[in-house]
Amino acid sequence: MTVLLRRPAALLGLLLVALHLAVAIAAPWIAPFAPTSLLDAPLEPPGATYWLGTDDLGRDAFSRLLWGGRVAMLVAFAAGAVAVLGGALLGLAAAYRRGSFDDVLMRLVEMKLAVPTILFVAIFVTGFGQSVPVLIVAVGIIQMMGVVRTTRAAGIVLMEQGYVRAAQLNGEGGATIILRELLPNVADLMAVEFALRASSALLLVSALSFLGLGISPPTPDWGLMVEDGMALLESEPALVLAPALCIATLVLGINLAAEGLSDALGLDAARGGGG
Amino acid sequence: MIVLVLRRGALSLVTLFLLATFVFFATEVLPGDALDVSLSADEMAMMPPEVLARRRAELGLDRPVLERYLGFLGGLLNGDLGRTIITRAPVADIVAMPLRNSIALAGVTLLLALPVALAIAMAAAQAKGRALDNAVSGAAIIGYSIPEFVTGLLLIAVFAVWWPVFPATITASTDDPLGVLLAAAPLAIATTIIGSIAYLGRILRVGLIEVMAADFVERLHLSGIPRWRILWLHALPAAMIPGLSAAALYAASLVSGVVVVELVFAYPGIGAELVRAVTRREVHVVQAIALAAAVCVVLFNLLADLGIAALDPRTRRA
Amino acid sequence: MTITRRTALAAAAASPLLGIDAVAQPSTPVRGGTLNIAQCSANRRSASPQNARHPYFLVDATTRLPYGCLVWVNRALQLEPELAERWGPADESMAVWDITLRDGLLFHDGTPVTARDVVASFEFHRTRSPFARQIERIEAVDRLTARFFLDAGNAEFPFVLGEYDSVIMPAAPPETIGLSGIGCGPYRIVSTDPNRSIVYERFDRYWRAGLPLLDRITLHNREGQQDSAIAGLRSGQFDVVMTIDPTAARQIGRDQDYVVETGGGGYHYVVQLPQHPGSPFLDKRVRQALAYAVDREAIVRLVYGAQNGWVGNDSHLVAADPNFLPRPALPRAQAVARARALLAEAGHPNGINLGTLYWSPQTPEAGRYFQVLQETVREAGITIALDQRPNDGYVQFRTGDNDFAQGRFHRFAMTAVGPRNPGISLFRMRGANVESGHWRGPEQDRYMALYRQAMATREDAARRAMFHDMQRILHEEVPALLPAGAMTFAVRRRNVQGFAFHPQIWSVRFDEVWRS
Repeated sequence: MTVLLRRPAALLGLLLVALHLAVAIAAPWIAPFAPTSLLDAPLEPPGATYWLGTDDLGRDAFSRLLWGGRVAMLVAFAAGAVAVLGGALLGLAAAYRRGSFDDVLMRLVEMKLAVPTILFVAIFVTGFGQSVPVLIVAVGIIQMMGVVRTTRAAGIVLMEQGYVRAAQLNGEGGATIILRELLPNVADLMAVEFALRASSALLLVSALSFLGLGISPPTPDWGLMVEDGMALLESEPALVLAPALCIATLVLGINLAAEGLSDALGLDAARGGGG
Repeated sequence: MIVLVLRRGALSLVTLFLLATFVFFATEVLPGDALDVSLSADEMAMMPPEVLARRRAELGLDRPVLERYLGFLGGLLNGDLGRTIITRAPVADIVAMPLRNSIALAGVTLLLALPVALAIAMAAAQAKGRALDNAVSGAAIIGYSIPEFVTGLLLIAVFAVWWPVFPATITASTDDPLGVLLAAAPLAIATTIIGSIAYLGRILRVGLIEVMAADFVERLHLSGIPRWRILWLHALPAAMIPGLSAAALYAASLVSGVVVVELVFAYPGIGAELVRAVTRREVHVVQAIALAAAVCVVLFNLLADLGIAALDPRTRRA
Repeated sequence: MTITRRTALAAAAASPLLGIDAVAQPSTPVRGGTLNIAQCSANRRSASPQNARHPYFLVDATTRLPYGCLVWVNRALQLEPELAERWGPADESMAVWDITLRDGLLFHDGTPVTARDVVASFEFHRTRSPFARQIERIEAVDRLTARFFLDAGNAEFPFVLGEYDSVIMPAAPPETIGLSGIGCGPYRIVSTDPNRSIVYERFDRYWRAGLPLLDRITLHNREGQQDSAIAGLRSGQFDVVMTIDPTAARQIGRDQDYVVETGGGGYHYVVQLPQHPGSPFLDKRVRQALAYAVDREAIVRLVYGAQNGWVGNDSHLVAADPNFLPRPALPRAQAVARARALLAEAGHPNGINLGTLYWSPQTPEAGRYFQVLQETVREAGITIALDQRPNDGYVQFRTGDNDFAQGRFHRFAMTAVGPRNPGISLFRMRGANVESGHWRGPEQDRYMALYRQAMATREDAARRAMFHDMQRILHEEVPALLPAGAMTFAVRRRNVQGFAFHPQIWSVRFDEVWRS
């Protein structure tokens, strides 16, 4: 952690993420109005009552901005957690077992990597509806495949280490070796992967919302606010720019933190991310 | 080498088979069927259930899923992609031109983005840790944090609406010559290139820095060879290996990016065709497009693997 | 009566415009020039290279570019002659109709249009178009007159002849009819790019002398891509963008370079209230409470802007329809009190939770519409959750897979409704597993009895009285909720003249459009 704090870019990233998280958690208490209340005339200019003015339905734009990251962050972080936990377990199991289990898993990973992410989630969401749990599972599964690849590679290296050999010779079972010997040793990698997966999940969710397959109203959401506001860009630029800035700074914050973390741990963030 | 090619080829085929199966079942379990979406809500409100059932039977939509799956696989082996449900047109006819156009867009992006990304990465690697490197890394990470559709919409707002120098949307036809089509799509190409440079630049910079820190580079350096020479003649080929192994990820992300960008700019490619097919439930078109995209990515991946094998003696022996 | 500039303008003046010139510039029309049109409405037709010229697979907006129908439904939703010179029932049953073509009509290939072509066209339509299914048989009486035999009396049958499917094509067997793209409309097809664009040029032997005025029209399909269409307009690529949403209309209407045109009473939304066993909507008082609780004016004001929307009356009729009977209105506070009282009477003194209302983004403003609905009914103690479903598969989802026999009913869900004559619109509230939510009971029986009687009534005033009675039943029974609707909007460049928009997109005509 101290290593991380010594890098200004990483520190900035952490601060951005912490700020966004704090606002998202505190939104119900700090927002001046309920985010869905129809308070006043539409498109009131910013002022003392409505700091950012009202949106096109006469709701307080500032309150909606404070609420707007909650669901996207929930989806991104939950999907990131699903991806990292599931991916690490599968990847390490593949490294441990090798053989046909590994082969099948790697074929599945390759299959997923060959399908553009957007198409994959679109098919999933179309089949199962557009709710938050469906989004978490769909995005989580997609991100999982990349984690399987990196943790499997790390696991294969670990399997050659003396203490893992020793544990095997002691007659420890597969589950024990994976959970006790391998998993703790990829914790650093998992932390970096989590940050990368969460940032790419945020981008994915915003693209899905753009295609009309992501988060849906009445949930206040930055992506939706940008989309709704596009028609008003010329007269009310704040309604588009404020939420766009929020998305960008959150993703940037996570990416900077991930970069700093992986630098500090001697890992390679660029190669693991994306997809 | 030949064994490696055959092995990779066989594995790619397995991947494609799994994918075909996934795509088939994912598209067949979608709610509703092609007939429902081919009718408007007005028409549905006017049409009795027995008429719907009769038309469904005419289209073969009432056959069991397994039967349709086997028919689908058999068709693929014969190179038959099926016919559309609404208009009974051969799917291959519908997909061919959009696929050509998307490959052209992706190809142009790659051709233009790769040298730029490489130049940026080399400059950054040479200046590692200094202001230039930090600026490049910062720009790359910011570029990487902005979704393609936001970049595209911003480019339209700036270069087509506020300062109208480029067309906002592409009005060229699907079967126009590629030159005409690409000339009509400057902002779309710019959007995919921006995303690609951020992506490729990051990967290549990390690879180069890693290689430059390697022992053999140190030895070359000690023997008095200038740094630029080491970078160009020794480090670059070695750095291509991690670059190439990230190629599959890049190819998939390029296709994802192309899908979104095609929608933003109304580019007549598979992305637009895909969204239309999904909303119309033209299952066979969805299947064909997903498979075509996958074949491209898998081929790209195969080429990258062969490139690695050619560059890296260790893999060749394995 | 022919369609003149004056009738179009009269209709325009009757419906409030967006504060922009209701009177077109009085300059003289000029021939020549090209018009680029983009259209954004979600049209369900698709096209393949083989049949991209067929009228069923073209986008709505082009129905009256290459093709023509026997009659035209004008902007006030009244019938006017088009290819037919006159029409009328052959007897008192209203089940046999004679239609006589104008003489001298020509198809694009120079062949004359005759009753034989009408027969062949409707032989195709009656098996393919749900609106024409009531036609049992058609025969040619003489060179210009065709006789239609219906399965029952229908005083409003001529409206079917103006529907988007009902174009006249050169006679051919059903397998090949229409594939050539030849019609007798003002513009003929030059080339098509399926799903993307169609290029037309002027047909010089069009039946309306001296028309059309433009040399060429290019139509670009931008369905679901309004931002792209408007950016194209602003960057100079398009001259007209059809079917934009009210927010975009308001926004672009402030710009001096563009003129927003409205088509009067356009589409609206129906909220189905499923009345299956165990449903809260089985209790009429709950449905009535909902009808009072929803703030219709707030929807109009917030979603559409006061001048661009209209208050619905819980029937499928649009406010622009001359048969439309407004719902008796109460001041907001009284309406909320009334809703609360009805709920208390129905055993819900502390309000009621009606569960999830499903919606799909069929138009850009659907999300905003239902958020306002949700917030306003809350004031009367009615709680509704909203759940968005994709457009894909939505029809089947909301109708419960259309499998009523399996006990699957319509869901508590919305859908968009287009503007049509009462014969088609009021039939949609029949007591089946349709948008009426399987409405039942003596009032339902009375409603359908009135419907059958009206359909067999020849005289307009008598029929209108029956339609009013039917709407009164709906006001009281509220089988479904139809709170508010919007005008349809198009935007044109200021130099595009003679363009009038229409509540039915397929009835927009480009005959008199020219560029100054």
